[in-house]
Amino acid sequence: MDYAIKLDNVTVSYLQSRNGVTSVKEFLLKASFIKIFKKHQVLHDFNLEISKGESIAFLGPNGCGKSTLLRTIAGIVVPDKGTVDVRIPVSPLLSLGAGVELELTGYDNIRIALVLSGNYHRKTRREMIDRIAEFAELSREQLKKPAKMFSTGMLARLTFSSLMVNQPELLMIDEVLAVGDWGFQMKCKKRIHEIIDNGATLLFVSHNPKEAIELCKRGICIIEGKKIFDGNIDEAADIYNKLF
Amino acid sequence: MKATSASTYFHLIYKNIQLKYKQTMFGFFWSLLQPALYLFIFVAIFSHIFQSIHKYPLYILSGLLFFVYFSEGTNRLCLVFLKNASMIKSIGIPKSSYAITELGSEMVNFMLGLVPFLVIMYFMGLELSPTLLYIIPILLLFTVFIYSIGTILGSLNVFFRDIAILWSTLNPALFYLSPIAYSSDLVPADFRYLVYCNPLFHFLQIIRDVLYLGQPPSLHYSLICIAMTAIFFVIALLIYRVTKNSFISNL
Repeated sequence: MDYAIKLDNVTVSYLQSRNGVTSVKEFLLKASFIKIFKKHQVLHDFNLEISKGESIAFLGPNGCGKSTLLRTIAGIVVPDKGTVDVRIPVSPLLSLGAGVELELTGYDNIRIALVLSGNYHRKTRREMIDRIAEFAELSREQLKKPAKMFSTGMLARLTFSSLMVNQPELLMIDEVLAVGDWGFQMKCKKRIHEIIDNGATLLFVSHNPKEAIELCKRGICIIEGKKIFDGNIDEAADIYNKLF
Repeated sequence: MKATSASTYFHLIYKNIQLKYKQTMFGFFWSLLQPALYLFIFVAIFSHIFQSIHKYPLYILSGLLFFVYFSEGTNRLCLVFLKNASMIKSIGIPKSSYAITELGSEMVNFMLGLVPFLVIMYFMGLELSPTLLYIIPILLLFTVFIYSIGTILGSLNVFFRDIAILWSTLNPALFYLSPIAYSSDLVPADFRYLVYCNPLFHFLQIIRDVLYLGQPPSLHYSLICIAMTAIFFVIALLIYRVTKNSFISNL
């Protein structure tokens, strides 16, 4: 079968300081000159194959490696071992609020978000900004204000809309749906369904199995960097619920 | 890794410049204030002591401007990865682009500031001639040098947060160790090696060749500067390579 994303024996680890040494002062005081860093393995020999158009939820306890997995696919993290082959364009914006500058206006922030997600043409950007404003239900006057004057919900609307207006081939969402009011959440879910129906692949990280069932068909459970289940979303949600 | 378009760099630089002057009354003129203030103090206090130095105000200003660029640049690069933590964690563009754009906006700022200062320098006795154009390659080399030092400090600062504090404490020491307000000839011969050990000394030599003496930069010091920059650049590259994948878990 032809795949869109394929991970082969991917192992990812980070350097982490031992004994919580985070300054030169502590480094000298604790005299831990040898081996201040230790390797912490996050993903162990991870294998995964995803075909185009699939919608997959990743479930698992905090710190099990879900976000690292998405970052590996997005090319933000480079694995120590194994290969990552992604054959569809990745929209690089993973989490909301990344790159939001509170001092700049709403318009400036939309523009930066668009550039960072790969929209380099001024003309298409201008047209997209209007659509984003409409989706976020924010008025011109509001968008001309600095982002620090926005409420938390408004800011979330702004950043999420920047993500939603695109028709990405690969949509990665990392625990961000719980933003905005109920109405806006419904609107986002509707838009995500639209994006999937148009042929996009969805990778969704969530702690809410209900939401995962609503949006995805396939579920993958991860514990301590290892895949323990891969299959139907309903079964995956059951396994996830039994973990706690 | 995805290729990063020139447009991304342009927008990040533009954003940095916008941010720096947002909600300030005099905007860009603030960046002229620091060198101007130092210049005033040194001219007022030291010009009698250093009467042996010909065109003393020009001597100070030519060194001072570049020192301020160095200290601003390195201090900003120290914190650049911390500042962009949320972006580094969620956007797949090379992490070095944050450092490049941070310094890029600082360089634009420096060059804009150079214009009024060149006018002042003209009144202090700067000779206008095509030789002045040598300052452009020197500035570019110096920028790569600042980038290297800044990337070393910035990468390490992700793991040891007091590097930035240490560096900003060391900055004034480096200022007095560099022959900016005094001439290196006045340093006793026994201590002169201290001056030579300071990388900035060599840069100041070629900068002053052009801006103060109005002659092409000396080959001897130019080669030292190029070699130093190359060495620091390689060290920076190595440190950045080893540490960059662990930024995410330490930011």
